Parts: sequence; structure tokens; C-alpha cells
Amino acid sequence: MDENQTNRIKQILLKIGHLVGLFIAMAIICLPGLWIVLSSLRPTVEIMAKPPVWIPESLSFDAYIAMFSGVGQGGIPVLDYFRNSIIISVTSTVIALAIGLAGGYAFARYRFRGKTAIFLGFMLTRTVPGIALSLPLFFVYAKLGIIDTHFGLIIAYVALNVPFTVWLIDGFFRQVPRDLAEAAQIDGCTRWQAFWQVEFPLARSGIASAGIFAFLISWNEFALASQLTRSTNSKTLPVGLLDYTAEFTIDWRGMCALAVVMIIPALTLTFIVQKHLVSGLTSGAVKG
Amino acid sequence: MNKLLTGVSAGVVLLMAGGTALAQELPGKFEGVTIDAKLIGGQQYEALYSRISEWEKATGATVNVISKKNHFELDKEIKSDIAVGAISWCVGSNHSSFAPQYPGIYTDLAALLPASEIDAFVDANIAASTLDGKLVMLPRAQFDVSAMYYQKSLYADEANKAKFKEKYGYDLTPPDTWEQVTDQAEFFANPPDFYGTQYAGKEEAINGRFYEMLRAEGGEYLDADGRPAINSEAGVRALNWFVELYKAKAVPAGTTNYLWDDLGQGFASGTVALNLDWPGWAGFFNDPGASKVAGNVGVVAPPKGSSGARTGWSGHHGFSVTESCANKEAAASLVWFLTNEENQKLEAGAGPLPTRDAVWTWVIEQAKDDPYRKEVLEAFQEAAKGAYPVPQSPSWIEISNAVYPELQAAILGDKTTQQALDDAAAKATAILEDAGEL
Amino acid sequence: MRGWKPAPHVLLLLPAFVVLAAVVVVPLLLSLYSSFTPFRLTRPETIYTFIGFRNYLRLFADQEFWVAFGRTVLLLTIALNLEMVLGLFLALLVEKATRGQRLLRTIMMFPMMFSPILVGFQFKFMFNDNIGLVNNALQSLGLTDRAIPWLIDSQLAFTSILIAEIWSSTSVFAIFILAGLMAMPREPLEAAKVDGCTPLQSFRYVTWPFIMPFAYIAMTIRSLDIARAYDIVKIMTDGGPAKRTEILWTLISRTAYSDARMGLANAMAYVAIFLSILFTILFFRQLAKARQQIGAEW
Repeated sequence: MDENQTNRIKQILLKIGHLVGLFIAMAIICLPGLWIVLSSLRPTVEIMAKPPVWIPESLSFDAYIAMFSGVGQGGIPVLDYFRNSIIISVTSTVIALAIGLAGGYAFARYRFRGKTAIFLGFMLTRTVPGIALSLPLFFVYAKLGIIDTHFGLIIAYVALNVPFTVWLIDGFFRQVPRDLAEAAQIDGCTRWQAFWQVEFPLARSGIASAGIFAFLISWNEFALASQLTRSTNSKTLPVGLLDYTAEFTIDWRGMCALAVVMIIPALTLTFIVQKHLVSGLTSGAVKG
Repeated sequence: MNKLLTGVSAGVVLLMAGGTALAQELPGKFEGVTIDAKLIGGQQYEALYSRISEWEKATGATVNVISKKNHFELDKEIKSDIAVGAISWCVGSNHSSFAPQYPGIYTDLAALLPASEIDAFVDANIAASTLDGKLVMLPRAQFDVSAMYYQKSLYADEANKAKFKEKYGYDLTPPDTWEQVTDQAEFFANPPDFYGTQYAGKEEAINGRFYEMLRAEGGEYLDADGRPAINSEAGVRALNWFVELYKAKAVPAGTTNYLWDDLGQGFASGTVALNLDWPGWAGFFNDPGASKVAGNVGVVAPPKGSSGARTGWSGHHGFSVTESCANKEAAASLVWFLTNEENQKLEAGAGPLPTRDAVWTWVIEQAKDDPYRKEVLEAFQEAAKGAYPVPQSPSWIEISNAVYPELQAAILGDKTTQQALDDAAAKATAILEDAGEL
Repeated sequence: MRGWKPAPHVLLLLPAFVVLAAVVVVPLLLSLYSSFTPFRLTRPETIYTFIGFRNYLRLFADQEFWVAFGRTVLLLTIALNLEMVLGLFLALLVEKATRGQRLLRTIMMFPMMFSPILVGFQFKFMFNDNIGLVNNALQSLGLTDRAIPWLIDSQLAFTSILIAEIWSSTSVFAIFILAGLMAMPREPLEAAKVDGCTPLQSFRYVTWPFIMPFAYIAMTIRSLDIARAYDIVKIMTDGGPAKRTEILWTLISRTAYSDARMGLANAMAYVAIFLSILFTILFFRQLAKARQQIGAEW
């Protein structure tokens, strides 16, 4: 009896400890983010106050209203940036996934010489710091005339994401037993049909997880975008953040408001896809 | 100048060259011409760009804004363009501190615009826009020089006055010399709640502030032969001003990581007594929605150094026309339009300082019923008298990057003042030698 | 003639090859070449002057460069290890939660939604010594009566950068390790319980070996992606004050664009690339080892 009781107390304590730990962890993760949201709603005089104003005295959507009120009236071309960001991120993610599918399938299903070396080589292209790449890339782009175009940035992001998508997708195909596709082929499917109807659906969650990573990387990328974009033709949201900085001033409140506009779509997407994400990573990369 | 008047034959233009008859013909007619432009972006610069459509209407040309970025990004972009030979655009935003880095890409505007128009600008601004005899940009109404902002209530407080007089032996009034700034900053400081003053502590900002102090102490950055001379006695005195305030904790401990935005926010938070800062902040500081010191802000001209001079490291924005531009006359006309009297009034009306004599008169006239605005303008006009641009060397930014960590090292106590300045001078000399300027 | 038909795997890998070659390899060769020239952006003709290894020799003799190099390695090592440990805790906490998994997982990934430059600004303002959130909070709570110079003191500044970096990237580890935890078969754990293992023991001998490969994947991906930290450091301190927080990337980008000395900067970049390659291969080998332990094929 006694032992049972101490056990129970121990369990309750553990549970409380767990909840407290969870709460603290989530608080640490969320607070800086919430601070940004809050900053976007408060007047500047309160954000940078000393002594600090902990409880907001007035909240308003002024920063958001200003942001959308048009260039010259305190606004920035946020709709253009948003459109560019969406087009560039989505297109580059889709292409990176397609290339990743092809590459991953090749790694998973075929045996060939130098496989590990090629695989590692793909990975290593990611180690190049953006700064070493930015000017030469700019040089090439300038010669091709694709500076400040969606196309240029899309291609750059595809290259950024391909190593990662190949890796993850490779892992997923390894998970799908070979016999399944073979059986389908015996049943009269072509290899192509077998792929789409049997192997692809099974690897879908892996593709979803590769997709969300690729999307988040493209959505938030700054270094290359700042070099390869110039005007509203192709400037993306992270580059647009700098519209709130001038030579001597910085509009932190406006920047926070834009940040919120940036985060909401990413968060929504993650919330929708995250179920696939976890199960995706699980069956994928490790066994690959 | 010649194609400014469409329909006039080259011969006639030649006959008239040197005369001022053409001056009235701006902006001219450029039917079907497209001008590619790179403009500096940012809230305070945008209002002007909405007027571009008027120029388009008047001239029949179109303006295609191919890039809009903040200053440092634009600088990076222009350098990249130079590097890959992609200067395919006509008009670019420029800045007097950056201009010397782009040798040769911008054309001489004095050859494209009538002299009477150029004469209408403040002489010092035109001088600062002229490199090797070429007028590389026309200044817009974004002229920057610093003045001293202070919290008025501190100086009105009787207890403060009495205590200060007792301790330092002279009356507490807004500072007129840098020595007084030191005294008052130490007097007001009460860390961590309140600081006497603050200064920009990194990048070109600290270098510029040091430069300003160096001149106030009677020193020179580059001597007559173009050699770095910062490790002079005056240099040591100048840098010691920063060091001593830091040691006395009269400035925020983080000041060596501050840039302009931190300084502005700091003064607006009401925790700093004295703040040498730019004209762009004047409105912000007095805006109750942004600043705690609104209504309590005073402005005086920058204090004098031991040389007796008020010195002002200054810069201004402007617009340039590229050498490779296919239609320089049209581009020059656009640059003229963006900096003409009417448009300078538009920009200066919102706070920034103009660069045309007539517009200076106009803003002062406008401010006669607004005591704060009047005080601001008077202080900055006085500051403008001692204003000078950075040395016109293509290596200035690079020197700045090498010198500022040394200045920081002295302020933070990693090195002695003399040693830091000797090291900085050695590095700056090496840079100039590498660049073939020495 | 039926013509030559390439093997299917060649065809499948071709798009990846083409894209990577066009966007990464060709530019890299260009920058490799320019590292042997005194190339200055503002004097384009200098790219045709070949100076051999002079840029590299200059770097090898440059003490400031090696200090920055060492600091970068230190930052990476500490950041990656701490992120892994914290990510592990976070994953364990979330995995144990019985309700709200979906929400918790989304929150866990919250920092990944923040663009690094935003993280930089955010933490710069928070760590401002005078009006920053952190000092304000500490002073309000009466924990200190000083203005702690977070971004000035060399150790504190390093720590502040570390905190920003860890905050923004621990999620990546957490999500991978969580994936590992969720994939773990239950039987070995129960067997361990029956054998009388304490929770700590079963974690050490059963759970950890299983999730280790996940941790290494995260490690590899992070080490690939590490230049992300550049945006954060650039905005928080830009390597200062007095070069106290200078890391390779801040040094390189200042040299490349602000000083316009692209040739020298590219030489530095090549040393940096070498460093990343080293880190990546190291993790990749660890990963292969860890994979073998759980019997997966490679």
C-alpha cells in the first residue's frame, strides 16, 4: 500500500514537473515571437520605454494600416512583395521536390558507381556560404539578364533545396518495398504507372516534409535575395523588411508588423502539414 | 546642354552655349525616352518619388525605377554593377560619403545643366558634390549635419542649476563647448537609469564622430600629402573625449554597439540628457506618439572644440547620371527636376534640410510661428556653417572599416589611446598604399 | 540508328546535376579564380591581374583572420552541441505530452518561421543595455541594478549571439529528434522495463542509440546551413565592438562589399568553405556509423 502511494505521489510529481517544464520551454520559444506581435500593435513610445511599460496602455492596428496604405503614404509595396514571395517560394519548392523525387528515386532504386561520392557531393554544395556565391552568381545572372526576375531567384532556391529534398525523398523510397512496384508491373502496369500509383503515394508524407522545409527556407532566405532582387518585380518579404530602415532611422514597429504578415502564412502551412512532417521524417531519413 | 531643347539645331545651341537663355527651358521635351533609375528607398524619401509622374507628363519621357533599396544595400548593388560591367541604367541615388568610391561611372552634371541652376544650390553642398572637378551629383533636400539635442527641463531645474554651479563653478546652460558637454554629461549621469550623453559607437558612424572631434581639436584626418594624421596630439585629445565619458559611465555601456537608430530611440526614451544627432530626428523627438521627451526638446548648434571651431561631419543625398547613359540630357533633366526648388520645398517641408539657398530662406520663413521648428532650423543652420564632407578618397569607407575597431578598442580600454591611433594610422596608410593613392 | 540511351539513373539525376552545376559550381569556379587576383569591385579591370597565392599568404599571416576563424569554430561547436541537447529535451517534453500534440509541435517549430535577419533585429533590441527588454526585466525584478552591457563585453556578447542562434535553430533538432522518438518501436522499451532498468538506464541504452541518427541528421543539416548565423551576427554586433565578436562571415562580407576587395574576400571564403566541408564530412561519417548501429543499409 505504502509503496503504491509513494509511487503515485512520484508519478504526480513527475507529471507536474513535466507540465512545468513544457510550459517553460514553450514560453521561451513563444515570448520573443509574442513580443514582436505586441510591438507591432503598440505605439513606438511604449516599445522603447524606460522605465518599461509592461502592460500596454493602447493597442492599435496603425502599423498595419500604414503598411497597406500605399507607397509615399507610409506604406510599402507589401502586396507586391507578398506576391513575389509566394510565387518564388511555391514554384521553387515544387521544382525542388520534382528534382528531388527524380534524384531520390535514382539513389534509392539503382545501384551505380560512385553513389556515396555523388550523394556527398550534392550535400557539400550546401556548405558554400552565400557570400562566396553571391557575387559570382550575380555575375552569371547579369550576363544572362535574369537579375531581378522571379526566374533567377527560383533557380537559386531550387539549387539551395535540392540536396535536402534528394536526401529525404531517397530515404522514403528506400522504405517502400521494391516488391510492391514489381508486383504492380507484373500486373501489367508500366514502370511509370507503378511509380505513380504504388510508390509515390507511399512516399507522400516524406515529400510533404521535404516540401515544408524547402518552403520555409525559401520563404525566409535573405542573403541571396538581397543580391539578386532589386525592385518590386522580384523583391521578397525578407528583403522588404529593410524598407523599414533608412539611413538614420529604423521603424521597428512597422518591421514587426511586416514580420507578422510574413509569419502567419508560414505558421498556417506548418500547422496543416506538420502531421505529415513528423511521420514523414520518421520513416524517411534515418533508414535511408 | 545641347539636346535639352528639342528642335533646336546643334549649330544654334553652339552659338548660345555659355549663355543662360537655356535655363528657362528645363525640364525640356523627351518624347518616348525611357530613363532607368536606381533610387534610395525608405519612408522619408518616398514622397519625392510620387512627383516623378509630373516630370513624365511635362517631358513625355518615362521613368522606370529598376531598384529601390536602403543605402548600404544600394551601395553593394552599385559596386556589383561596376564589377560586372552592368551599368545599364541612367540615374542613380548617390550620397556624398559614398560617391568617391565610384570613380568614373558618373558624368559631369555641370556640362549638362545651366550654370544658373547650379548656382542656386548652397555652395558648400556643390563643393562636396564635386569630385576631381566633376559635379557628380545634384544634392536633394536631404542634407545632414548634426546639432545638439537636449532635455530642456534638466536645464530649467533650480536644484540642478545650484548643484552644478557649486561643483563646476559656472552656470548650467546648454553646452557651448565639448568640455562643457563632458562636465554636464558626468553631472547628469545616473546609470543605469539615466545617462549624460551617448555616441554612435560603430562602423562609419564612430569614425565620422571621431573625425568631427578631431577637427574641433584642430587636427586633420589626412594631412596635406594625403597621409593619415589621426595619431597626432589633437587625435589623442579627440579620442580621449570618447574614452573618458565611457570610463565615467556617463554614456550607456552599450554605446560602442550603437548606430543611429539606437541613439534616436535612446534619446526618445527620455534616458539621455544630451544627444548630438541628425536633423531627421527633430520631428520624431517632438512627437508624443514616438517620444517621451516630446515638448521637452531643445536644440543648439554643435559645441566648439579646443580649437574654437564648431565642426560638422556632414553628408547629403543626391542624384547622379551615369557616363554610359544613352540620353544624358533627359537624365539630367530628371535629376534637375528631383532637386528643383519646388521639390526641395516638398522634402524640406517634412523636416529634412534643403540644399538650395532659396529653400533655406523659405523653410525659415515657414517656421516663424513654430518655435520648436525655428529653434531646430537655427541650430542646424549654424551647424551647416562648419560642415564639411568626408575626405574625397575612394578608400574612405575601407579606411573607416579599418579604423573603427581601433577606436572601439581604445574606448573599451583594450588599448591605450595613443596605441590605438598609431595602429589605426598604420592600417589606414597601408590601405592607401595598396590602393595606389600614396 | 536507335541512338544512345542513357541509363535511367543518369537521366533521373541529370536535373539535380544541371541545377547544382549552374547555380553553385560555375559561380564557385569564378570565385575560386578571383581569389587569385587583387579583384576590387570598383575597379573591374583588376580581375585580369593574376597574383598567385598572395591573398592566401596574406591571410595565413593575418592574426585577426585566425582569431575570427577560431571564434567561428567555437561558436559552431558550442551552438550545435547545445542545440542538440536542448532539442532533445524539447522533443522529450513534447513527446510525453498527452494532449495538444499538434499545437505543441507547431509552437515548437515557431522560431523556424522567423527570417534570420528578423531574429537579429529582435535580439539586438532585446539585449540593448539601456532600453532593452532583458535589462528592463532584470531591473524590474530587482535582479540587478546595473545596465548589463550584453552586446559589449566579449563573453556576454558571444553568449547573446549564442542565445539568438540557439533560439532560432533548436527547433530543427527538436523536430528531427521528435520524429525519431515517435518512430521508436515500443517493445524494446517495455522489455527494458521488465528487466528492471531505471528510466534513465532505458533512455541511455535503448532510446538514445535509436534517436542518435536523427540527431546527426539534424547536425548535418544544420552544419550545412550554418551560414544562416551570419545574418544574425551581422545585425546584432557586426563583429564588434573592437572585433570582439568577429566571425568569418562578417569579416568576409565586410571585406567583399564594404571594402570592395572581392579577391581577398573570396580567398577567405574558400578557407571558410573548407571548414564547412570538414564539419559536414565529420557528421556524415558519424551518421553512417549511427545508421549501421540500427542496422540500416547504406
